[in-house]
Amino acid sequence: MALMEINNMVKRFGGLMAVNDVSFAVDSREIVSMIGPNGAGKTTAFNCITGLYPITTGDVLFDGRSITGQPPHRITRLGIARTFQNIRLFSFMTALDNVMVGAHSWMSAHVWDSVIKSPRARADERRVTDRAHDLLDQLGLSRYAGAYARELPYGLQRRLEIARALATQPRILLLDEPAAGLNPQEKKELMALISRLREEGLTIFLIEHDMRVVMEISDRIVVLDHGVKITEGRPLEVRNNPQVIEAYLGHGAAERMADA
Amino acid sequence: MSDETTASAARATAGAIGHGTLVDPRGLSARTDRAGTTRPAVVRTLAFLRKLYGLVQRYFPQFLIAGIAFAILKVYANGGLTLMGAQIKNALVLGAIYALVAIGYTMVYGIIELINFAHGDVFTLSGFYAFVIAGLSGGAIGSLATHSGIGLLLALLIIFPTTMVAAGFTGVVIERVAYRRLRDAPRLAPLITAIGVSFLLEGLMLVIFGADNRPTKLSSWITGRAVRVAGVDVNWKDIFVVATALGLMFSLGAFVRITTLGKAMRATAQDRSASLLSGINVNRTISATFFIGSALAAAGAIVYSINYDLIQWNLGYQLGIIAFTAAVLGGIGNIVGAGVGGFIIGVISVFGGQLAGGEWSNSLVFAILVIILTFRPVGLFGVDVTTRA
Amino acid sequence: MPRLGLLQRPQPVTPQAGPRGSGTSTFWIFSLGSAMLLLMSWLLPWFVRPTSSGVGYSPMDVVTSSPTGIGTILVYILAVTMLIMVLSPVLEIAYRLRKEATPRRFDTLRGIAAVIGLVSTVAVFVLARIMREEPLFGQIDSHSITDSAVWLTMAGYIIAAVTYGARQRVTHRPSLAFGAVALPFGLLLPLMFHQAPDFILWAAESLAVYMLLALGLNVVVGFAGLLDLGYAAFFAIGAYTCASLASPKHSIHLPLWVLIFLGAAVASMFGAVLGAPTLRLRGDYLAIVTLGFGEIIPDLATNNVGKLTGGPDGISSIDQPALGPIHFGTNKEWYYWSLLVVVIVVIILLRNLERSRMGRAWVALREDEVAAAATGINTTSTKLLAFAIGASISGIAGAFYGSIVTVVTPQDFNFSVSVSILSMIVLGGIGNITGVIVGSFALTFVIFWVLQNLNEWSGTLGQTINVPTLGNLNFSQYTYIVYGVTLILMMLLRPGGLIPSRARQIELKSGGEEESLAAVQGRA
Repeated sequence: MALMEINNMVKRFGGLMAVNDVSFAVDSREIVSMIGPNGAGKTTAFNCITGLYPITTGDVLFDGRSITGQPPHRITRLGIARTFQNIRLFSFMTALDNVMVGAHSWMSAHVWDSVIKSPRARADERRVTDRAHDLLDQLGLSRYAGAYARELPYGLQRRLEIARALATQPRILLLDEPAAGLNPQEKKELMALISRLREEGLTIFLIEHDMRVVMEISDRIVVLDHGVKITEGRPLEVRNNPQVIEAYLGHGAAERMADA
Repeated sequence: MSDETTASAARATAGAIGHGTLVDPRGLSARTDRAGTTRPAVVRTLAFLRKLYGLVQRYFPQFLIAGIAFAILKVYANGGLTLMGAQIKNALVLGAIYALVAIGYTMVYGIIELINFAHGDVFTLSGFYAFVIAGLSGGAIGSLATHSGIGLLLALLIIFPTTMVAAGFTGVVIERVAYRRLRDAPRLAPLITAIGVSFLLEGLMLVIFGADNRPTKLSSWITGRAVRVAGVDVNWKDIFVVATALGLMFSLGAFVRITTLGKAMRATAQDRSASLLSGINVNRTISATFFIGSALAAAGAIVYSINYDLIQWNLGYQLGIIAFTAAVLGGIGNIVGAGVGGFIIGVISVFGGQLAGGEWSNSLVFAILVIILTFRPVGLFGVDVTTRA
Repeated sequence: MPRLGLLQRPQPVTPQAGPRGSGTSTFWIFSLGSAMLLLMSWLLPWFVRPTSSGVGYSPMDVVTSSPTGIGTILVYILAVTMLIMVLSPVLEIAYRLRKEATPRRFDTLRGIAAVIGLVSTVAVFVLARIMREEPLFGQIDSHSITDSAVWLTMAGYIIAAVTYGARQRVTHRPSLAFGAVALPFGLLLPLMFHQAPDFILWAAESLAVYMLLALGLNVVVGFAGLLDLGYAAFFAIGAYTCASLASPKHSIHLPLWVLIFLGAAVASMFGAVLGAPTLRLRGDYLAIVTLGFGEIIPDLATNNVGKLTGGPDGISSIDQPALGPIHFGTNKEWYYWSLLVVVIVVIILLRNLERSRMGRAWVALREDEVAAAATGINTTSTKLLAFAIGASISGIAGAFYGSIVTVVTPQDFNFSVSVSILSMIVLGGIGNITGVIVGSFALTFVIFWVLQNLNEWSGTLGQTINVPTLGNLNFSQYTYIVYGVTLILMMLLRPGGLIPSRARQIELKSGGEEESLAAVQGRA
């Protein structure tokens, strides 16, 4: 069964159809990419799935149940984590705290536990701190644990955002242009990271512009243009789809693709 | 701090969940929606409230008009045509003053997104300027004004420009000293400063002019009845107040539309950095906005003194908030809207005060403020011209 | 499993040089504070009771009683060490102007001097007061109670010893140093000033109550970043709740200790209810809506809604509690001490909260509401919780306030009260508990003590130097100016406050555009 299913999703801003009747599904432990030219409605679709925008019509199913109209925090609690295209870290919190905020939703201590620092709150806090250090450690960020998020180099900020998303205990991870602004070395590391996440059981759904990254890691690709889904399929099929080349890559790009 | 040691310490105290993996295995299992199942009553109430909120938000103008119509008719039923007419006259006079002050709020918010909390106190201060100017050389201007028709004209020609220019420069100085440095700070920082300026001005006026009402003696300037409509005396004073307000507002409208400076203002309000790039002197434009806004508040203060003959150190606090409400009602950033909003708020406060009783007029105004901001922060006309979000 | 061998090793971040700014300002506050206390210990006997000489037991009295033998030596030591401490800030400023660090040996020297001074004060106190060695000090009125100045002197020396003796620690662990100094000072305060009953009243009615209020407002403004301009409304709700239930008004007489919790509960309920409509609003609009509530609530009391509030005259003859034989009404210092306990408990609980799950959620919300929501934080309940907790603390303050002044009227809760509390946290440092304590201390001292007494002092001075106009000045009118100037100067020059929290300092200088979740969702 598909883990996430989008059925006839429509998002309208005034007269603009940002997302127009889009349907697709993401299976468990799959890596699916969404591509399309700028303004195709990819990020809007992301925001609709995660509850940041209310959907005009249509339905999003997660694990067989509708999550349409749920507030963002509840969607995150159900297991959908995301990163943002323009990194949205909590700039004046330390890297460690950023990751710990991610763990907010599954912490069991109540407010009154925290207020009186009950054993439960302490245990909770210890567990989350451990987990956050563990995540930072594995992502090679442990040296920055005490630094403000804004002090990190750009590439590491992207990685920290992934760490924060992973701390929410997701079932599916939505990455919005994770490779944007990374150098080739960092892109390689990102691809390794994504593969590893999948190996560990996570489902990944990403928006990406970098074709090398998309072609290399995706199981399937969904192509959007002007809010409409043009096609979806395996990387090879999409790459050779003339409609895609026409709409998305434009003339002359086909040759460049062949070179790559 | 040594993160390495903390990290390895964390590793040592193993047993933590999902250790060594990036993906927490606990997260991968299906989970139930806790909040959706355990607290249905709360959720249902919330859903109901949300629906109600949406309804009120959507039909806000209709509700408002219906409420105003009801209030006017109720007053008519209680006191007949004379009372209603008299109150409409009062509402227009009060509304004209609110409108003049509201324009200052709306212009400043439009251009730098600051609720200029001190604007109401600039109004009061201008009232004191007028008071002082009218009292200069033993009240020469006052005796000139009451002497003859031409004398009155001369007196008005002296007091309006001087007070307005003085107030305008006050506004410019306030902006230069207190707000300019905080222009790129988060929104709350200049707001807190504005509250500080407001308190400073109020404190200075309290210390200099004392705590009591000061009669300005300007009320004797314009006297006499112009017409009598349906048993209601319409005095020259009333006509003067409304005409001055309307005249100034139309001149401002023309100014903003036609002159280069006005165009620069509109451009800066839309996009400050783009205006800067296209060669507009943003600092000067913002200063001009403060000058005009404060000058209009000063005009409002003069007509206020002419009409009500008093000024008090903390008058501007409440009046300013009412005027701000008017600005929000008209859609903040929208100059015409502020004018219209001023008159609507005038009607609401006069008729509401008449129906609810004088002791409730204060609460009434603040309740309107809360309701407008909560349900319709974009204003009656529904277009938010300033916010980029 | 691949261990991400590809990941490049990041360069280590340069070790954070600690929150240096805040540490040095703590040092300055300590340095000036100790100098002022020691100076006051000489001058106070004249201020609080002009005929004090010979009645009490202050350093001044010791001098005027012409000591002999070891007494002379002790007094000389006192004089020298006091002079050193009083002049110390001047020395610091001199070095600062020359942009040099004060030599370490001066610090050691001054630390030792402070300890010697402290020891000799204790010695004088023991000799004269406990052992009654009158031959050493000449004629001293022995039936006088322990003079405040002695306690002031001791507090001054303790602070000086900490400041200079442990300068490194003060600059590196400002909060700890602050606690170490503030706690004994706070405890001894009624003893130091016991000859000035109105000062003790100030300490209880203004300092402690406003400190609680500032701590509560700090939860809303500092932690959660929601500017609440109507905070006095919750203060009013707490005060009126308790006044109604402990006065002849409705013939209900509950003890204060119950009412504290009741006031907190009622106020927090109102906090959540009044907070709810503001949740979707932008920061500045939220501020104005809360201001509206802050005006409506006292207005309801003025108009005597439901005949519950007693109208403009309010509710009077509120009960004052007794603890065994101690009646709080006549021993105001007990109000102060109970409030001190409450304040300390509140501070501890708030610190716990600040460093917990909820504290992080608040900061996250303040920084980026959209990202916070996408990270699983329920923005609605998190904001409401901040309102509720902030309001509950002001409910406690309200309960005490009503009990101390025995009468509550609507005018006690107008807009200027909200702004005064805001000024305190802005002065001390938004979001920083230590800063809030300093800010509330400084402002309540100036507003409710100095300005109130300036009238009397200037009147006396006017009589003395024959300028009668001085007596006509009403200095309490200057409160608005003090608040205004405080807010403007702090926001312009030091937006983080006297003792900034590290993050807020930078945040307030260079914040970006905040956008609310509701705005993103197109609902506001």
